[in-house]
Amino acid sequence: MNTNKIDHIIALSNDLRWQIGDEFHDNLAEGIYADAAEIVKGAVRKKDEKGTFRIDTKIDKIITSKVWGFPLMFIILAVVLWMTIVGANYPSAMLSGLLLDTIHPALKGFASNIGMPWWLDGFLIDGVYLAVAWVIAVMLPPMAIFFPLFTLLEDFGYLPRVAFNLDHLFKLSGAHGKQALTMSMGFGCNAAGIVATRIIDSPRERLIAIITNNFSLCNGRWPTQILIATIFVGALVPASYSGIMSLAAVIGIAVLGMVFMFLVSWGLSKTVLKGEVSTFNLELPPYRPPRFWKTIYTSIIDRTLIVLWRAIVFAAPAGAVIWLISNIYLGDASIATWLIDSLDGFGFLLGLNGVILVAYIVAIPANEIVIPTILMLTVLVTGISAGEGAGVMFELDSATATGDILRAGGWTLLTAINLMLFSLLHNPCSTTIYTIYKETKSVKWTTVASVLPVILGFVVTFLVAQIWRLLA
Amino acid sequence: MNTYNPITALAVFFALSILAYLLFRPNKGWFWLIKNSSVSNDKIVVEDVLKLLYHNENADKHLNVNDIIRTLKYNDKLILECINRMSHHALISIEGDSVKLTKSGSDYALRIVRAHRLWEKFLAEKTGFKESEWHERAERMEHELSKVEADILSSQLGNPQFDPHGDPIPTNTGKIAKVKGIPVSELSIGTIGRIVHIKDKPEIIYKQILAENIHIGSVIRIMEKTPARIEFHSEGEAFVLAPIMAGNITVSVLEKDVVFEENLARLSILKENETAKIIGISKEIRGDSRRRLLDLGFVKGAEVKLDLLNPLGDPRAFLIKGTSIALRQNQASKILIQKD
Amino acid sequence: MEVKPKSACETCVQFNADGLKKLGVNTSDFDFVVALAGNPNTGKSTVFNAMTGLRQHTGNWPGKTVTRAEGAFEYNKEKFKLVDLPGTYSLLSTSEDEEVARNFILFGKPSVTVIVVDASRLERNLNLVLQILEITNNAVLCLNLMDEAQRNNLEINTRTLAKDLGIPVVPTSARYNRGIPELIQTISELANGKIVCKPHRIKNIPKNIEQALEKLSAEIKEVYPDIPNSRWIALRLLEGDRNIIETLKTGEFV
Repeated sequence: MNTNKIDHIIALSNDLRWQIGDEFHDNLAEGIYADAAEIVKGAVRKKDEKGTFRIDTKIDKIITSKVWGFPLMFIILAVVLWMTIVGANYPSAMLSGLLLDTIHPALKGFASNIGMPWWLDGFLIDGVYLAVAWVIAVMLPPMAIFFPLFTLLEDFGYLPRVAFNLDHLFKLSGAHGKQALTMSMGFGCNAAGIVATRIIDSPRERLIAIITNNFSLCNGRWPTQILIATIFVGALVPASYSGIMSLAAVIGIAVLGMVFMFLVSWGLSKTVLKGEVSTFNLELPPYRPPRFWKTIYTSIIDRTLIVLWRAIVFAAPAGAVIWLISNIYLGDASIATWLIDSLDGFGFLLGLNGVILVAYIVAIPANEIVIPTILMLTVLVTGISAGEGAGVMFELDSATATGDILRAGGWTLLTAINLMLFSLLHNPCSTTIYTIYKETKSVKWTTVASVLPVILGFVVTFLVAQIWRLLA
Repeated sequence: MNTYNPITALAVFFALSILAYLLFRPNKGWFWLIKNSSVSNDKIVVEDVLKLLYHNENADKHLNVNDIIRTLKYNDKLILECINRMSHHALISIEGDSVKLTKSGSDYALRIVRAHRLWEKFLAEKTGFKESEWHERAERMEHELSKVEADILSSQLGNPQFDPHGDPIPTNTGKIAKVKGIPVSELSIGTIGRIVHIKDKPEIIYKQILAENIHIGSVIRIMEKTPARIEFHSEGEAFVLAPIMAGNITVSVLEKDVVFEENLARLSILKENETAKIIGISKEIRGDSRRRLLDLGFVKGAEVKLDLLNPLGDPRAFLIKGTSIALRQNQASKILIQKD
Repeated sequence: MEVKPKSACETCVQFNADGLKKLGVNTSDFDFVVALAGNPNTGKSTVFNAMTGLRQHTGNWPGKTVTRAEGAFEYNKEKFKLVDLPGTYSLLSTSEDEEVARNFILFGKPSVTVIVVDASRLERNLNLVLQILEITNNAVLCLNLMDEAQRNNLEINTRTLAKDLGIPVVPTSARYNRGIPELIQTISELANGKIVCKPHRIKNIPKNIEQALEKLSAEIKEVYPDIPNSRWIALRLLEGDRNIIETLKTGEFV
């Protein structure tokens, strides 16, 4: 190759760049648009001045109006969440009836028929299978409802308007209006919310959205919040109000999550992310009627199943670990007991206990299995008769019975409240951590996003516990 | 658990928090101070002396050892040691009273200047740091960039000729472009010119100029001039400066046939149902933000209309080339328009 | 240069006999590579899905496809691999999406580049079209969302447009599968050299830039006489594009 010649060309280009000066890009962009205008003038004719974009303008006037803009947004978000949580109950119950109550015993029966050794049967069926089944039963139905609903709103063109309406609030905390959407998406699944941050094209704001997405209470955590709130918070008031009371507690936690999201966004944009490039622009596309069935199909394939698959991949080994630590003995205590004992002191400082901390450590792969693990471990350490044996996660149909076990495990109202707080403020699940790494391709930001919430969780639960005990 | 009591726990916690704050608070945390002071070694002092001499020789001023000691904020002994070592290594020569750069000394100084200005250009184009922070950050970075790193950085930036203040960046062979221009304080009434340089020293004046929103590349026209004040128009706004500030701004005078747009306004003031034509984007918007705006069609001559107000007032959506694009008010205020 | 007549014949022999076979993600052993470029929110992914039979999610939201998606179809026994590039407003900036799109069109050397534009926002979309036409000779303009343009009372003279741009123009409404067979046929004819384009080159460039471009482009042509896009390479050199400089040095253009 003619190296001298090439070097000459590169040198020449450097010289010419010096001569042209720094208006180069401006001039070029203007030139191209001037060409475009000429071509359009020759080829496009407007038949009639009236009737253009009229419907769009009308819809936009309502959606972004001072009176209707915000109420509409909250109503739509509330409806979507309500449909997700309530609508998922039935299929979830069906799935868990099938996977946990029918197939699991059947597999156990089959294993004992073929004479499988107890440890292999426990490891595979009580450990791996059960964790995977649990994740599917809890996770699949809400996601299969939430994502299609969300995608329909997206396809219609409503979501960019939400970003437009809310941008000012996000700007105050140094973030981008589109974070409103990735945050809402996080209510479905944080991993999906983080993938969705791709729509934010400004590097700094995108990192903020990724790091703070975990503060959106995801589908895996809603059931935990609802269960604990029903058992402990709802019981504080007369039975007729307990439903409202526990609902208020859960919403309070979700709102607290948003408050943390804003505070952390603000902190990040003022400190570690100060030097990242920040730009803003938001295209408001025309409204387009979504094609209902196609949207539902693609959103289930694209979002739900991909996220579910990742969750399963991570849940399987977690199930194995849960079974193993409950069944491998060091001396006369299982690893689980040993871990629980050593974490009990720290747990007490946080107003939690060793069982909860161990459950959160082994359940990093999926928030869905936190409650079953807590129940199993509580039974393991207290020795009360419930559940199906060491390392076999379980859940009870009645909230009262669950409450009895937890109270037997030493739970108080403080434990419950701090568990709800810790469920909001702890490290993202491993699926999410993996997704953060894939999106940022940076160990540094993945670490920040993983460690920051758990530190916040420690601090908040610690403070609540101390103040609670002072006042009590 | 018998020693536990909530008050002790809280006290320990707050003590630890305060300690962590003192250690790691931005800039003044002890951890950073210790870290920085360990870096602040002889090399930095040597390089700062070289730079000081270089800038002064460019202004035909010669310094003696005492001047150097007075100007630089290091301890006197350290500076003296460094000066001795520098003259030993033939970076400087001490002739009578004054200290002069040798050829190798001035080459070295140019390298530092190059690193400094390249880094400022980098900060301006590729990061989100504020303008007022550039200089200080570059002051630190200039000592860390090696020659090779500076070359790589330069080619990544497209071998720029000037830094964001309008100062020329020396090439890797030490060539340096000339800034041609006249200080604003010496222009006569009616002159039209383009700002080519804003001195970043002294810092107090520089920050005042920045606070006025005056930028490199803006076209200005002198409107009034008295010994006490100079008034000029630029990008649709009137600026009044004291001569000492105006003296730090250099412009290159433009030919007579340049059209100086007088009835300029900012996109941010456009009201519903008004249309306007875009005149340009203020030079204050640089790098990726500028390119993105151009790509979206905010180019000279484009028709623009306010499309949507927001319930909170900011951002606003503008209809440009058939599409509704939302911009924040602080961006819209940097797009110059002429109302129809 | 000729414009495809609007045959609107989705049922005629031509499209059924040898037929179109949608091959989904099966992209092995293809004869041609086709790149799909366009602004965000022009229905690019819908066109992609209509051609390949895949069901990539197509949101009404700018910047959906960030990574490259690939699919394939077969037409007249020839296999085409279709690469859906990220939607961008331009190819001149530094963002990751633009780099992916720019580098694929230049270095991936697709046989045909399909540029999807929103018919009712033609002027804005032409910004990208004109840039792509600087890079490649073999392109077809897919004038999508024609239904919306009609609703907005816009009348587009595709013949004039094709003449001005120097490439074939195919009006489509990918949502309703309208115009897709014509698009595929045009792609096939372009790939097989039955249509030869003479793309528009940007004219309104200020004189000093134009002169610099000419100078550089002449030098580049001396070293690489066969490349069609010396002017684009000159443009990128003036921008200081590191990829281009590296490739010039290694000579991978040819």
